[in-house]
Amino acid sequence: MPKLIIDGKEIEFENGQTIIEVAKKDGLEIPHFCWHPSLSISGNCRVCLVEVEKMPKLVIACSTIAADGMVVNTQSEKTLNARNAVMEFLLINHPLDCPICDEAGECKLQDYAYKHSAGESRFVETKNHKDKRIQLGPRIMFDQERCISCSRCIRFSDEIAKENQLTFVQRGDHVTIRTFPGEEFDNPYTLNTVDICPVGALTSNDFRFQTRVWELSSTESICVGCSRGCNTEVWVRDNEIKRLTPRENFDVNSYWMCDHGRVNTWKNVNADTRIDGCLKDGEKISWEDAIKSVSDGLTQYQPEEILFIGSAFASNEDNFLFKKLAEKKGVHEVYFASAIKPGDADDILIQEDKTPNSLGASKIGLTGSNDNKSLSKKISDGKYKAAFILEDDLTRLEEDVIKSLQNIEFLIVQATNENQLTKEANLVLAASTFAEKHATYTNFLGMVQRVKPAVTSANMDRALDSMSKSRWDKFATTFDRWGRGKKYDSKPGWSILSGILNEMGEEKNYQMAEDVFDELAKEISDFNGMNYDTIGSGGALLKSFTKQEAETV
Amino acid sequence: MPQKKRSKDLNFLEKIYLPEIFNGLMLTLKNMFRPNVTMQYPEQKFIPPASYRGRPVLVKENDDTERCVACGLCSRVCPALAIEVQPDETALEKERFPKLFEINMLRCIFCGFCEEVCPEEAIVMSKDYELVYTNREDAIYGKDKLLVPVEELSDRLEFLRNFK
Amino acid sequence: MDIWSIVIETSIKIFVVVNVLLLTVSYSVYFERKISAWAQNRIGPNRVGWLGLLQPFADVFKLLLKEDIVPDKSNKAIHALAPFLALFVAFSTYAVIPIGPEMTLFGYTFSLVVADVGIGILYVLAMTSLGVYAITFAGWSSGSKYSLLGGIRSAAQMISYEVSMGFSIAGVIMFSESLNMNVIVQSQAGWMWNAILQPIGFITFVVAAFAETNRMPFDLPEAEPELVGGYHTEYSSMKFAGFFLAEYANMAIASALIVTLYLGGWQNPLVDIFGITGITATLMQIGAFLVKVLALLFFFIWVRWSLPRFRYDQLMDLGWKVMFPLSLINIVWVAALIMIFNL
Repeated sequence: MPKLIIDGKEIEFENGQTIIEVAKKDGLEIPHFCWHPSLSISGNCRVCLVEVEKMPKLVIACSTIAADGMVVNTQSEKTLNARNAVMEFLLINHPLDCPICDEAGECKLQDYAYKHSAGESRFVETKNHKDKRIQLGPRIMFDQERCISCSRCIRFSDEIAKENQLTFVQRGDHVTIRTFPGEEFDNPYTLNTVDICPVGALTSNDFRFQTRVWELSSTESICVGCSRGCNTEVWVRDNEIKRLTPRENFDVNSYWMCDHGRVNTWKNVNADTRIDGCLKDGEKISWEDAIKSVSDGLTQYQPEEILFIGSAFASNEDNFLFKKLAEKKGVHEVYFASAIKPGDADDILIQEDKTPNSLGASKIGLTGSNDNKSLSKKISDGKYKAAFILEDDLTRLEEDVIKSLQNIEFLIVQATNENQLTKEANLVLAASTFAEKHATYTNFLGMVQRVKPAVTSANMDRALDSMSKSRWDKFATTFDRWGRGKKYDSKPGWSILSGILNEMGEEKNYQMAEDVFDELAKEISDFNGMNYDTIGSGGALLKSFTKQEAETV
Repeated sequence: MPQKKRSKDLNFLEKIYLPEIFNGLMLTLKNMFRPNVTMQYPEQKFIPPASYRGRPVLVKENDDTERCVACGLCSRVCPALAIEVQPDETALEKERFPKLFEINMLRCIFCGFCEEVCPEEAIVMSKDYELVYTNREDAIYGKDKLLVPVEELSDRLEFLRNFK
Repeated sequence: MDIWSIVIETSIKIFVVVNVLLLTVSYSVYFERKISAWAQNRIGPNRVGWLGLLQPFADVFKLLLKEDIVPDKSNKAIHALAPFLALFVAFSTYAVIPIGPEMTLFGYTFSLVVADVGIGILYVLAMTSLGVYAITFAGWSSGSKYSLLGGIRSAAQMISYEVSMGFSIAGVIMFSESLNMNVIVQSQAGWMWNAILQPIGFITFVVAAFAETNRMPFDLPEAEPELVGGYHTEYSSMKFAGFFLAEYANMAIASALIVTLYLGGWQNPLVDIFGITGITATLMQIGAFLVKVLALLFFFIWVRWSLPRFRYDQLMDLGWKVMFPLSLINIVWVAALIMIFNL
């Protein structure tokens, strides 16, 4: 293998790698704005200039192919001077409005201004003023002044979103980014440009002016918007989700996620429609009473009179225990409804299947099909007198499902938010959302992935449940207004179901989600050998599936 | 070995105490005829100098808007975590304003870091030292109590410009 | 003179003396606070009454309303006895102090002293020495280590200073050739004040008086920073007030003693200079006595707010190694004066 020397350290590399890639692999960060590992090289920010021996001038590390025997110096006086000069140029027309800029705290320009700049400006002339509020697309706001023309967003829309929607216009210090007149920057992936924008030029309408990034806690999770299950970070303040950002996982979503997943999939967590405590015929009841009513209610019906409908929106653990519960009652067929939106997919990330766990549900032994007609017919054919429906608003199937539900005497619904179905239900069990529990979901590629609690519900405590904490969470007392937030009285699905199982005489007592998953992994062959540790933050593949790289990488 | 003479060693007059006692008595006697420094507090109020760090307040501009842009630096720097800021967007040129700005005066330690870190001179330490509340909720000052017209703070703002 | 007129006369005298003394004591508390305030550029009590003049009554009222706390492990009887003993000793000493010469009022002649006893000065020494019992009792019976330490310190201190006090007084008696207080005062007629004739004795006596009354700079039995109040740590309410009163009464008595023994008592030089006689002279002489006592009270307070407290070993050093020899020297000095000038 060829070798080169960076800052006196010999590093092996593969032919074709650039200096910045070699350095990165070795853990050395060469400052960069325009370079991004999964975008093409444009080399226009010039901040990655390094000194290479025997080259007459400094070269940019991002586009210089490493060669055997090369001696690179990233800390020589010449390099540092050049870097400082580049920073000074970039800051000439940058408005330095960090106090009002949402990027502050995670801004590359801000960081580099501390690390690599002299900290003084010699520019006494008036700065160039441009428009600060340009609605570039339906979800994205553009501040022209802050832009340092790195072209990352342009390359993203060309290469990843494949939509060619953005371009540079004008020249010199008038250069700015815009769409074609009359067009909007509206592809399904626009908000990724907010993440990759090294400054605060592109901001999300959804997150703009919501909070400071350093006041948030972040928790590793996944997106439950479709069966892709993009890896995410959940950012929480005052027990409310403030935003979702993608987390890199090259087996699933690379660096990206879609705008729908980022903006819409978590809005129900803190919505007013959350079910706060169990309801019996619309009245609040205690958990003990609720679990007892489920158990007592179901004993009054014959197995063939009870309909169990699992859910592809619920986690592996929930469906597993749900199946157990059905079998305990002597019911062997457990259904689940699919949610496929034909045509709403692309070959980047978005999948037609809008549930996060349909593969997991079928692997666990639930019966589902692409055709939900048979399921709606089953509900309405009058054979069933009781039904237990897990975390799925079945009224989305057909309009008259609601009508046909009236045949059912005893309807139990486990749900996170109010919907048509919970209004009809005799008993509503308050379930936690994906952001309030430990759980696993299986995506269409066969990856079993974990979510971790980011928001606390009533019986949880950030410290005791070792959840991630922001500075506010760490130091808040009961007398402080901040850090409190609203806590809903809900429990994770598996916990409710194991309570019902115990009430029905099942001896096995599940203490935590991991116990349920360990048993699942023992009983279901595809999950054999898995546990929460092996899944980790990157996921684990089902046995019958082979690894395939996400197409976008 | 003779003991080394120390500066502390007393001479004869000091050793017999009496002259020194007399000096001490004269000192206190002299002070008895000096003007008093005590203030009759509730009737007579102490007006602090501009360098005084009373309770932190927000500057209200003449057009009734707050100068604060809700950058959250005061909240971040506050060693006692007394300040909570919730920003929001405004149509004004400054784009950003504090929808909610609360200082918990039970937590505040009057260190003035918030004032020092503020990029807008929007939060300053006032001359107000009369802070009374009868429960914890009252001790949390919202924007209604924090906003003070800019003219009333001219002393402090001038002090900051000269010495900060 | 029949026994009843003596009883009535003495009763009236006691009534007057006790009331005057109580008033003096309460206002010396007030002035203690005022003078300390002035010395520290403060104002002092000024809220109760005009210039705060009703402050002593407010204090007493407050103390009356306070809960009387008796420690569980105390010796209850002695604990209760101690403050009364302190008060009794303080007030009864005053019986032999003459506040003026003989006085004739409505044709009735009487001496301005409650009990004109021949051994007045011995009586004073005896009574003041009894005071140490009050403090030791209080310290011991409280069942608290701070109180006990205070009591022990007090006993040691009083015994040490009693010695030099006694020898100083010896010098006075050598001049007057009598133990009667009135005779001692009369022996200082004109400007023949003992303070001028025997300055060393005067100084040793004043210092010993400070120590006897437990005043700064010798207030080791109380020493707030070390002993949390010393012997009266465990006292509250009126029992505490008893000690408080006794301390100030002792101060008044010490002042009166110093005046009587060294500063010419009720002698008023103006009376001799202008040859004033009759009731005016008597009133002027009583006035002189009061002025001298008040000046000394001021001096007591003034010293307290000027000087720091002695360390315990320094106190003992001073008592035995300095004051005692000095008072002996004083006796030699007085003897020499008598020999040379044949006084």
